[in-house]
Amino acid sequence: MLSSDSGEDPMPNPGSNPIPIEDQFSCIVMSDNCEASATRNGSLGNHVGGEIEGAEDKRREWGRTNSVVEVEEGTPSPSSSGYAGERGSSGSDEDEIQELTIDGYVDADGGPPDSQATWLPGKRHVDEDDASISWRKRKKHFFMLSHSGKPIYSRYGDEHKLAGFSATLQAIISFVEGDRVKLVRAGKHQVVFLVKGPIYLVCISCTEEPYESLRSQLELIYGQMLLILTKSVNRCFERNPKFDMTPLLGGTDIVFSSLIHSFNWNPATFLHAYTCLPLAYATRQAAGAILQDVADSGVLFAILMCKHKVVSLVGAQKASLHPDDMLLLANFVMSSESFKTSESFSPICLPRYNPMAFLYAYVHYLDVETYLMLLTTSSDAFYHLKDCRIRIEMVLLKSNVLSEAQRSMLDGGMRVEDLPNDSVPRSGYVSPHMSHSRLPTDSPERFRESYGGTGGPAGLWHFIYRSIYLDQYVSSEFSSPINSSRQQKRLYRAYQNLYSSMHDKGIGPHRTQFRRDENYVLLCWVTPDFEFYAAFDPLADKALAIKTCNRVTEWVKYVENEIFLQGATPFSW
Amino acid sequence: MGLASVSTSTEGVRFCIFDLRRGQHEGQELDKILFFFPADLPFSAQLSVIGLSEGLITFTRIFSPEAACEVIEAERHAHVFHEAESDIWMVMVVEKSKESEAMWRIDALRKVLKEIHSLFVMFHGSIRAMLEKEPGGGLIRSHLYPFIMDYLRACQKRSPLDNCCWDFLVGKKLHLPSFRDCLKERGTVQMLTIGREAAIEVQSLARVLESCVGSTSCYSLVLFQDLLVSTTLSRDDTLNLFTYAVLRLTPHALSSGLSSWSYLRKGSSSSPVAAGSTLARSDSSPEQLYRSHGISPSSDNPYHVARPLQHKKWCKGKDGFLITDIWGVEDGSLISATPTVWLQQTEERMYLCAYQYRSLTLVLLIPVSSILNGEQGISLVKQQVLQNASLKVLKVEEKLSKGWGGENAYHVSGYRYLLVDSYRNVSRASPPGKVTTLTKESLLALSKLREEVDLEKSSARLDTAGPEKDMEVCIRAKNNAWVIARLTRGEELYMILEKANETLLYASDALEKFSNRYCNGAFSLV
Repeated sequence: MLSSDSGEDPMPNPGSNPIPIEDQFSCIVMSDNCEASATRNGSLGNHVGGEIEGAEDKRREWGRTNSVVEVEEGTPSPSSSGYAGERGSSGSDEDEIQELTIDGYVDADGGPPDSQATWLPGKRHVDEDDASISWRKRKKHFFMLSHSGKPIYSRYGDEHKLAGFSATLQAIISFVEGDRVKLVRAGKHQVVFLVKGPIYLVCISCTEEPYESLRSQLELIYGQMLLILTKSVNRCFERNPKFDMTPLLGGTDIVFSSLIHSFNWNPATFLHAYTCLPLAYATRQAAGAILQDVADSGVLFAILMCKHKVVSLVGAQKASLHPDDMLLLANFVMSSESFKTSESFSPICLPRYNPMAFLYAYVHYLDVETYLMLLTTSSDAFYHLKDCRIRIEMVLLKSNVLSEAQRSMLDGGMRVEDLPNDSVPRSGYVSPHMSHSRLPTDSPERFRESYGGTGGPAGLWHFIYRSIYLDQYVSSEFSSPINSSRQQKRLYRAYQNLYSSMHDKGIGPHRTQFRRDENYVLLCWVTPDFEFYAAFDPLADKALAIKTCNRVTEWVKYVENEIFLQGATPFSW
Repeated sequence: MGLASVSTSTEGVRFCIFDLRRGQHEGQELDKILFFFPADLPFSAQLSVIGLSEGLITFTRIFSPEAACEVIEAERHAHVFHEAESDIWMVMVVEKSKESEAMWRIDALRKVLKEIHSLFVMFHGSIRAMLEKEPGGGLIRSHLYPFIMDYLRACQKRSPLDNCCWDFLVGKKLHLPSFRDCLKERGTVQMLTIGREAAIEVQSLARVLESCVGSTSCYSLVLFQDLLVSTTLSRDDTLNLFTYAVLRLTPHALSSGLSSWSYLRKGSSSSPVAAGSTLARSDSSPEQLYRSHGISPSSDNPYHVARPLQHKKWCKGKDGFLITDIWGVEDGSLISATPTVWLQQTEERMYLCAYQYRSLTLVLLIPVSSILNGEQGISLVKQQVLQNASLKVLKVEEKLSKGWGGENAYHVSGYRYLLVDSYRNVSRASPPGKVTTLTKESLLALSKLREEVDLEKSSARLDTAGPEKDMEVCIRAKNNAWVIARLTRGEELYMILEKANETLLYASDALEKFSNRYCNGAFSLV
């Protein structure tokens, strides 16, 4: 049951394959022999299922989809509401039509950051194409296409129906070739182009995000594609310029749509840093110690995460694990329902680490939100990593790391309302939600009520602190009045603007910036040690705001052992 | 066929005007082109620029039907679009280069396009109207080409030293506004600030001028040096006439073309200056263009084309009125025809009479319809002006000269600033000589900041329901200079403070002081 595509895309003879593909192939064999029989997950494998006979031509898909083991086919768990919405959901349509009538443009991104229940993962509006008015009015399109103009991915609409549109994009890019088109601006719309060898990426947006942000989002989408396929996919285009890549990415819509959604709520996508789950220093040390143990036994990276926040991370080469790679890996794992239901062993590529080669990721969820990722170069390390995981899990349970992590997820991070009054915190003062001895009455709800809509002192609404040395950031929880997802998204876009204004490639980075408009007062400092971004009430007093910023940075320094991962061993910092 | 193949020539600028309603059939694509610079570029290359532009206009309309393509930014070029009239597009392609300081602010380039079009319409009427008059396109092409070439060649930019001028077009290279011009605003009028007493004098002078015509619908403009003193015209007409006056009529503009007398008398062939050779080239180029388009079978230009921007064509007559032969000679006499312009506000054709006394230039606009006997009638009006207003002109000039602080009159020590009132189209800035003391880094930082502000402004414009943009940005750049933008109620203030203290409060204090002292507190926060 070969698809017609595979006929015109002859793959190289296996003997001449580059090493990564060989590795991947052996991985398939290995995972087929796994204790669990490989069945295909609905979200990833449907497309592939019909093409098993084309195995040799489709190794890449195999490598990816085979990695998922022990999933019951076609019966998504009740919790995975995302499944239902994957192929068009009437519920979300209604929302968007409503928005359409409000501002003329459809914004499908409106989901509150952490309550992903209202955001439906996976591709929507597959019935649309470039002739539909609704398609044209979407606020932000993303496209991936090949240099011959074949569609690879589109955020909205069916790729195959967009072949003509894709050819137009290709024509624009190639028409200006010799030079390289970066951006076309028309009214509120920006068309941003990124050429990566034989793969072209395009974003069409009227979200008023700066060019640099949209471009780095395209870079991340490209990175996400590399994470699934590696850069060796370029070779397919060298052999056959008209190569059709869509089958290789079949079923991964959900990974890309989840990444695109994160552009709205995850500051890591523009800060290029990762964030940690706030934990008592000793708790994180305990987690780090057992991960270090495992890393010493031939694991390249051991990462323990709670949703998108890092609990602990160690590695033979920790310095070279780029925050963007962590973002893409976490997105890949979290967006695929299948990882949640069983232990998995999957080939993945870390584009910043080595874009040419696959690594192998052992992924296991320790509870609903906490998952362990063990990365190795060896394709036959499954059983070893499984053993490692069992050891880690035991230690984590024994030392209460998992329950602490769950509690921290519930409590949330720093809140502007909790900013200590003194410029230097009294000795022994630890913000309530950071401390272990937190009283039951100190619930976040109580705090928010008592501050009723004013945010923190001096009209402070929100802040982000990025430690340059650690490649980590901490972002305050959203407080009143930044309550709705729309307000939160707007604030992130304001931060993005500020970030790209500060980090101009030609003349940046600037040192300080103060920016006031009808929505906010924004302040930013870039120092050799940290970058600090804060949002205030637009009527905030400048002098008070500056004072408050200084207090926040002192506060962050004071609790840095709890909010940042300081190093794998207690003395490494 | 990419653009790279055509950009191998030394200059990196392409500039074209095309009409999307023309040349829709295969083989007739050349019909679209109304103007192309450089004219000697092969047609295939010209069509390639226009093809790309047209493609992107169509493409962007899919998503943004209300505002089509405005700019293409490529690695090495920027393509700036301006839809001057419906379906008539002006596109300028500039090469970017860090070495040659070719770093552009797109909005500044677009303002050049707007200025060219506004001036063209003032003298010749709309492009569409001319196309309708002669659908073959020969008429509009024969007007556009010399007009724009004269503009590019003649548009003088003040140098840092203020007494030497240069053109956009030096040799074959265009000098367009770059980041170094970030403390200037094209498309605005610069005003002279005068005291109450002087203002009353000027007002009464304007009344006298208008009474000389005896018609109520006549208008006047008074300039001192290159600054506007008074106007009775609408905002847009004032801007156009002010721009033209500063380009061609003020004492400064006349003296830069000082050789004009000898040039006229001796004839163009003896002109030794380099400009003469490019002039000759441009004279022949349009004909080439028409011939190759197959529009004009004879090599003679069949159209009489007035070239109001032509260099060195104005001079001061004995009676103080400025004279030119640009508009030819009236039939049956040796008197030069008086120039005429279209006013946007009244949609009326007006005679343009300019009188100059020392630093004072008066521009008088008289409805063509009100003067029944042509040049004879005009000279009657001129006589009236000399009789009735001479004394007043003398007095006003004296008064203004006394109060005039010289070229650094509007310098504010410690500040480098640009103040723009976008409602009135008025701007004031630090004198160019002072701006040159700034470092490249500071200027680049402000140019970048202005680009951000431009985007905010344009998106606010598109949100017609949205409130007026009110914002403040203070940036401490890497070189420790403060770069500031402040927008409020249609007024804009841009500043560079280089030797300022490091605290933000110091910078905003400096802004506050400036605002209180020079802007009636318009930019103050409280």
